[in-house]
Amino acid sequence: MPPIIRIDNLTKKFGNLVAVEHLNLDVEDGEILGFLGPNGAGKTTILLMLITVIKPTEGTALIGSYDVTREPDKARTLVGMCFQEPKLLWVSTPWDVLDWHSKVCGLSTDERKKRVRWALEELELWNERHKSIHTFSGGMRKRVEIAKILIQRPKIAIIDEPTAQIDIVGKHRIWNMIRDLRDEGSTILLATNELYEADVLSDRVAIMHKGKLLVCDEPKKLKDNIPGGDVVEVILEREVSQKSLEELKQINRVVDVLTTKPNQLKIYLNQAEEVLPQITKFFMKARMPIKSIHMSEPSLDDVFAHYTGLTIEEAQRK
Amino acid sequence: MISLRKVWTVAERDMRMFLQYKFLLIMRAIWFLAQIALFGLVVNKMLRQDVQLVVGGDYFNFYAAGIIITMLYSTAVFIGYDIYEEADHGVIEYLLSVPVSRKELVIGRSIGGGLRSFIYVSPMMLFVLYLIGTSNLLQLLVAFMSLFLFTFGVAGFSITLAVTIKSSDRFDILLGVVDAMIVRLSTTLYPLAYMPSYYAGIARFNPLTFAADLFRWGAGIKSAFLTSPAIGVFGIVTFFSFFTFIGIFLHERRIEGGGWQ
Repeated sequence: MPPIIRIDNLTKKFGNLVAVEHLNLDVEDGEILGFLGPNGAGKTTILLMLITVIKPTEGTALIGSYDVTREPDKARTLVGMCFQEPKLLWVSTPWDVLDWHSKVCGLSTDERKKRVRWALEELELWNERHKSIHTFSGGMRKRVEIAKILIQRPKIAIIDEPTAQIDIVGKHRIWNMIRDLRDEGSTILLATNELYEADVLSDRVAIMHKGKLLVCDEPKKLKDNIPGGDVVEVILEREVSQKSLEELKQINRVVDVLTTKPNQLKIYLNQAEEVLPQITKFFMKARMPIKSIHMSEPSLDDVFAHYTGLTIEEAQRK
Repeated sequence: MISLRKVWTVAERDMRMFLQYKFLLIMRAIWFLAQIALFGLVVNKMLRQDVQLVVGGDYFNFYAAGIIITMLYSTAVFIGYDIYEEADHGVIEYLLSVPVSRKELVIGRSIGGGLRSFIYVSPMMLFVLYLIGTSNLLQLLVAFMSLFLFTFGVAGFSITLAVTIKSSDRFDILLGVVDAMIVRLSTTLYPLAYMPSYYAGIARFNPLTFAADLFRWGAGIKSAFLTSPAIGVFGIVTFFSFFTFIGIFLHERRIEGGGWQ
């Protein structure tokens, strides 16, 4: 099956600033693809080009079979967007905003009322539906923005920072709603600078930095592919000899071994689940009983750091 | 292919938005009443008999009809301010992201901006017609249809200025100057016969002149300029068409693709 989005050499320049540089990427139908990167990485610019709000300087993208530069009107019939900053006028009410949005997206009157009510109730905005937006907190405004896309249920849903300003309970609810949206047939593109959000929500993560795509893959593969990305911490009953350490390093996929205390080791390795049985077998054979063993996975921050030498937080500051 | 449903949906939004500006609507209505009840009556008393002959009866009637056109103009240009308000809140990006073509968006906004002005001014229009005592319904209908197009043209003109200037302060100042020029170089407040010839030459091509004199013709007031209402209708249709199409063209060139940023 052809990809539902094909991004081909997409570039956007604002004067001398290159916001997005020669991006090539395919998005499969029904997947959740997360763009992860610090502010200014070019995530939002990509999304705005895909929704045809801004024009690429170079390259293009196919949305379904429609070229965003040549057939933007047709491309927009397949896409809906939830913006990072809620796009609402202060005099509007949530009901008016969502009712009009569903109308302009072509929903019938009955369906419109049903979906608007459902979204307002799910996002706990029903009692505030006729209040002016200017009385709302940032989180409430963001929920109104999210409601637009949940009501529209587009073939391709573009969501920029889905849970910015939303409390932790609200975050989980919105993540579930995004998954439901995907289960109902939408392909989801989301941009985030929250590592956990990208990790738990995305089927694949595209890591961006300074307008460039560094890498794109499943979160697990990204983490596994960092050399020595997995860490196994072992506490033994007795001290480890130098010879044992050397033998340990010879095990396939073990990248490095550090002795943190005479009886404690930190083993850096790839694909820990596969190597772990060999490690335990090694200690048993060497008659070194294991007191405790703890495995930790690298985070997407480690992946970002691997490619850029900076954590996302550091990159954001720069 | 333009979808009328989508055009109407866009227009409907602008009409609803207008109702949110309650303070503006009340103040404009008070302004209208003050112009009619104070200025119109007092100036009517001041004017000599020969002026009343030129305007075909009471100056008050002539003036009241003209004030309706200035009301239509000043409320229809308000759509330009809406565009700035939306730019400030990022709503332009949102409107560009919905499944509506740019042509449908601009035409819808022109219609919405015009129609809301027409609906808002309608009760005042009926009030003025009642004061004048109009009898010819067919003439009135022609005049109403033309004013309808006139408001769309003004909305298109305002959208064109808004997307061209891209600074709300400059837009505000420019609109103040344009307002002063366009109203004063027209027959909304005084007849063509009293203008110096070089002013009258310009006023003959002013859409407000077409609209004001056509409305007077519809209301049964003698018009100094319009020997035939067809001239007024033609002038308004040209004005409407020009600014609707130039609005679409400029909107696509300047706003499409993030040009407002």
